Amino acid sequence: MFKRRPLQSKSEIWMRNIAMGFLIIYMTIFLIIPVIIVIAGSFHQWNPLNQTYNWIGLDNYIRMFSYPTFWQSMGNTVIFCVVVVFFRVLLGLAIAYALNSKLMKHKTLFRTIFYMPTVTPLVAVAYVWKIMYNPQFGLIDNIFGLDINWLFDSKFALPALMVMTIWKDFGYAVILFLSGLLSLPSDCYESASIDGANAWQTFRYITLPLLKPTMLFVVVTSIISYLQAYVPVLVMTTGGPGTSTYLSSYLVYDQAFKQYNFGFASAISLFILVLTAIFTVISFKVTGANES
Amino acid sequence: MKRFFSFCLALVLVLSLAGCSGGGKGSGTSQGVQDTQADKGLEVMGDNVTYDPNHLVNDGEPITIDWWVWATEDMFRSIAEAYQEIHPNVTINVINNPWDGFFTKLPLALQREEEGPTLFNVHNSYEHLLLNYMEPYDIDTDELISDYPSASTHLMDGNVYYMDYGLSTGMFYYNKDLWAEAGLTDDDIPKTWDEFIDVAQKLTKFDEDGNMVQAGYNYNNYFNSTVIGLNYQFGDNLFSADGKTSLVSGDGMKEATSFLIDLYEKYHVGDKDFGTNYDQSFYQGQSAMVFAWGFFVGNLATNAPDINYGTFEIPTQDGETPYAYYRYNGESTPGINKNATDAQKEVAQDFIRFFLASDDVQIKLSQDGGLIPAKSALMDAPELKDTPIVKTVGPHIDRYIWPGAMPSTVENNMKIAGEDILYNGKDTDDALKTAADTIDIDLANADFTSSESLYAYYKE
Repeated sequence: MFKRRPLQSKSEIWMRNIAMGFLIIYMTIFLIIPVIIVIAGSFHQWNPLNQTYNWIGLDNYIRMFSYPTFWQSMGNTVIFCVVVVFFRVLLGLAIAYALNSKLMKHKTLFRTIFYMPTVTPLVAVAYVWKIMYNPQFGLIDNIFGLDINWLFDSKFALPALMVMTIWKDFGYAVILFLSGLLSLPSDCYESASIDGANAWQTFRYITLPLLKPTMLFVVVTSIISYLQAYVPVLVMTTGGPGTSTYLSSYLVYDQAFKQYNFGFASAISLFILVLTAIFTVISFKVTGANES
Repeated sequence: MKRFFSFCLALVLVLSLAGCSGGGKGSGTSQGVQDTQADKGLEVMGDNVTYDPNHLVNDGEPITIDWWVWATEDMFRSIAEAYQEIHPNVTINVINNPWDGFFTKLPLALQREEEGPTLFNVHNSYEHLLLNYMEPYDIDTDELISDYPSASTHLMDGNVYYMDYGLSTGMFYYNKDLWAEAGLTDDDIPKTWDEFIDVAQKLTKFDEDGNMVQAGYNYNNYFNSTVIGLNYQFGDNLFSADGKTSLVSGDGMKEATSFLIDLYEKYHVGDKDFGTNYDQSFYQGQSAMVFAWGFFVGNLATNAPDINYGTFEIPTQDGETPYAYYRYNGESTPGINKNATDAQKEVAQDFIRFFLASDDVQIKLSQDGGLIPAKSALMDAPELKDTPIVKTVGPHIDRYIWPGAMPSTVENNMKIAGEDILYNGKDTDDALKTAADTIDIDLANADFTSSESLYAYYKE
């Protein structure tokens, strides 16, 4: 624990007050007020575009829990999160481990290549993948000699979105795992080497446990971001075929900006907010526990 | 030095922020010149709604207004330019905003009152979002109805806020080259659905492995727009007698849906996996027939000018005149922002009168937009008699139903139902029931009443 140093001068106090003031104003305008508006809106039949705002009590929540598409979208979101996070961690860790190896050459080049999809705009990536999935002239069917209508077949549409998302996002995990690997203490590896541990044993019993905080961070932040994912759905499938690729955040978008049921969309948003808050608390607890 | 750099940085930031916030005031500046000549020696236009160009607007002082459109920007700009030629002090900025998001952005822009567009294009399925912001036309409604009979369906509290300048509906487009290749002639144009299936099968080709290489008919990604209206031929209206709830789970829609599904699954004249979009497939000469609305004429001219195509009317069960062939919808005249300044509104009202009175404007709109003119005096205009839609649908347009300013939820949920049936293997009854339940909740929220009961043959 470090000891708190009292502020030294008036200018320091001024700077603190200005910084905190801006933060409070920012959080109030862009977080607290919108959340309050959404909470209030969820109890109303609400359409800000034609200024409808009628009190309907819990109707939006009752409708939400009895709305099949809501449960379908929640199910899809769980599947999406589990699969994408699993492969993001697996690929991220494997590639980071390979890049960290002494045998690896051109590390910077590979790091750049793997990180490139992460910094490419998501909308652009989604459009390119949509073309690649086209059954008539798409790259994927042509290269593999397949005849699959990827985005219009309910068996393949959600997995197709997952593959695109994994490709887009694994680079971020690579960078995080790589920084984790570089910060691991070398004495553990020296001890393992003296004890005659082979490569797998070293990885299983030393690297993996020491990387646990990084892995938890990657998992929790990924889940939080995938709970809010809707752009790939919007660009590639618009929720179809039918509603088979609706994710919970896309349902919010659809209800608010296509059906103009802002009250109903607010109720769903609050549900997602609660889920996100739970995961955020978990992430804080996990991080705190590891730090202590 | 550090302070100087900090100051410069702050200045750049402030200036860039100021630059960002200036966007909404576009209509404040004007490029027009002062107009001092009221009498321009021009003829008065129009029959009942008339427009006398020999006057000054805004007292001849320069003024600029914005006009939001979502498509065919050049067509609307040419109309604005025709008006500006008469009134050189007026500048009309035609601003194109894409269809996606147009009806989210527009109401928000109109909430900015006079900073929003003075004129904006309207689609009647979004009427419920826009009416709050619209100024009624300052034109006698009897005169409007005399020239544009369908204006009577847009009367609200004795006022007209927008109306139809043209009518559109669906018809079949066929590729003449593929038609000839299959040994078909004009005599083979189908009048009944059985004939249609026969022709479509002749136009469908498979390779030696049994894979489809040419579709006789393709409705991929257009199922919903096709099936809504086909129900009239299968014995049901689209809405209940009180006009408040949908009949999309009724027998008529079930039969219409099953018929379209059978075309693919039983008669194999197309395939749900043969291309993702009917229009792209037609542009590429891979599909011989598609069903589309009048706008497709313009799309073909832009995207596939080399396709040699013809059109024919939607077939019927027995070749006889049905209760209704299909539905139609109107292309709407621009709305006027009721919160614009008085000067802007004066110009907008004057422009709308010009827009409606000028036959040249109306002919251009119908030609370029693939429409049947809503103005009765132009029904037999020689310039329009050979346009695909007038030639194909014109003789029977009285047998097409306008279901009303149907909110977009109907199309959106029928799209989901169609995909559920075609791609997800969902039972037709279940899919249509799900769609009907959602549509009815949304219709109640939108306070919608169908106009089907206004149809001349409704009692049949």
